[in-house]
Amino acid sequence: MPPLIAVQQVSRLFTTATRTVTALDNISFDIHPGNFVSIVGPSGCGKSTLLKIISGLMPASSGTVTVAGHQVDSPLENVGMVFQAPVLLKWRSVLGNVLLPVEFAKLEVAQYIDKARALIKLVGLDGFEEMYPHELSGGMQQRASLCRALVTDPQLLLMDEPFGALDAMTRDELDMELLRIWEERKKTVLFVTHSIQEAVFLSDLVFVMSARPGRLIETIAIDLPRPRTMEMMSAVKFGEYTLQIRALLASAGGAHAAAVGSTT
Amino acid sequence: MILRSGNFLTPWMLSINVGASAAVKSSWKNVAEPVVFFVVLLILWEILVEVIQVPSFILPPPRDLYTAFIKKLPILGHHAWITFIEAFGGFALSLILGVGFAISVVYSRHLQNTIYPLIVILYAMPKSAFAPLMVIWVGYGMFSKISIAFLVAFFPIVVNTVVGLKEVEPELLELARINRGSAWDVFKKIRLPNSLPYMFAGIKVAIVLSVTGAIVAEFVAANEGLGYLVLQANYSLDTAFALVILLILAVLSLGLFWLAEFCQRKLAPWSAGVREVEGSF
Repeated sequence: MPPLIAVQQVSRLFTTATRTVTALDNISFDIHPGNFVSIVGPSGCGKSTLLKIISGLMPASSGTVTVAGHQVDSPLENVGMVFQAPVLLKWRSVLGNVLLPVEFAKLEVAQYIDKARALIKLVGLDGFEEMYPHELSGGMQQRASLCRALVTDPQLLLMDEPFGALDAMTRDELDMELLRIWEERKKTVLFVTHSIQEAVFLSDLVFVMSARPGRLIETIAIDLPRPRTMEMMSAVKFGEYTLQIRALLASAGGAHAAAVGSTT
Repeated sequence: MILRSGNFLTPWMLSINVGASAAVKSSWKNVAEPVVFFVVLLILWEILVEVIQVPSFILPPPRDLYTAFIKKLPILGHHAWITFIEAFGGFALSLILGVGFAISVVYSRHLQNTIYPLIVILYAMPKSAFAPLMVIWVGYGMFSKISIAFLVAFFPIVVNTVVGLKEVEPELLELARINRGSAWDVFKKIRLPNSLPYMFAGIKVAIVLSVTGAIVAEFVAANEGLGYLVLQANYSLDTAFALVILLILAVLSLGLFWLAEFCQRKLAPWSAGVREVEGSF
């Protein structure tokens, strides 16, 4: 099967008045359709930059990104984005927020209302369709933003530390939700996180990155059965994976950053 | 929200009571305390003026204010109406032109590079100093007052609206780009509603300043309006009447402010905690 995403020798430089910073240094990887892939690394390793390049929101300085056989040179079509903050429109209800991408894409809104309601139900927000963001908790807001990312039924979901700002319990809960939706809807997910545990728990593959310059130092296949359960977190194998990733991050010189970044 | 945090008499910037106000919000004390306070204040004023024998052209007793108010009531309505039209006309003009200008500055780099610096220079000038010039430019009538009210109200609206149109979360713009949202959609669905709370913050400053602008313009050259009446009262040492007019101006300004607050609650109920950029006159 050909990869859905092929990243080839992608580098990204940022030039300021005084110096040039290499945010991403010669990154290459493939992601196959239906896979759940996480990128883990310390803050400043260029994870978010990489996500922006893959989505076509930002050009690479060199190298190419191919998605579904097409080279990316403008924002991707039919991709779902979830950000660290829910960024909902304060003046719209949950339903109105979920339908925003439909309106932007000039699709027939009426045809998506049932779909949006079904998604809202799927993430456990039924009954909250007409509520406004300020009436929801942070976790509920992030659920709504997940619906917004899914409403146009994209094959690819790009998630940039989506649950990073939530408390640990809500984060676990949403991780489980996400896996359930992923298994039900057969999406390809690229998930950026600084939590090693979260990456291992969710993924088929974990890309481990180092900081300054951002390099891909290792790809680890997570061989844990699906569906995943919370109990697996205390399995020996789970612990081995997290230790391995932590060691990789430490040896890459990001010891301090990794230790800070791995507190879940 | 500004007004909700204080009692019914306390307007925006006087609302300084941070901790206690929420707890006793709906209590009868919030109504009774200011009423009792003002009654006591009036009584003390009346007694002190009597006891110390203050000349009434310096500080008349509250009784004289009441008498002056009743006596001048027939003419007050007309002059208050004139000042209201001047202030509100200037404000309305500043709202239409200010919002329009803010949008064009945000969307056009050329305007941002050319007209905006000019506006900044104008902003740094005391707008009321234009009042004598306005008499030369637009004449002795109402338009010179409307122009000054407009000048004074224009800047808070422009500055706040520009901030509101610009301060959009970048992720929302990325979301729009990913979904091929048009520039018009981004304006209509994100930038404009996003700017409303800021716009209203500017409007609330502007609407009060516009009354000041109208009065200052009337001081310079007028034969009607509350500003004109204040000068007339001063010339004849009718201090009681001058104070009555100032109180009417306070009522006018507060009324306009509350109108803006009411519209904000109807049109942008999500706006909480947006601070206004200062205006000047």
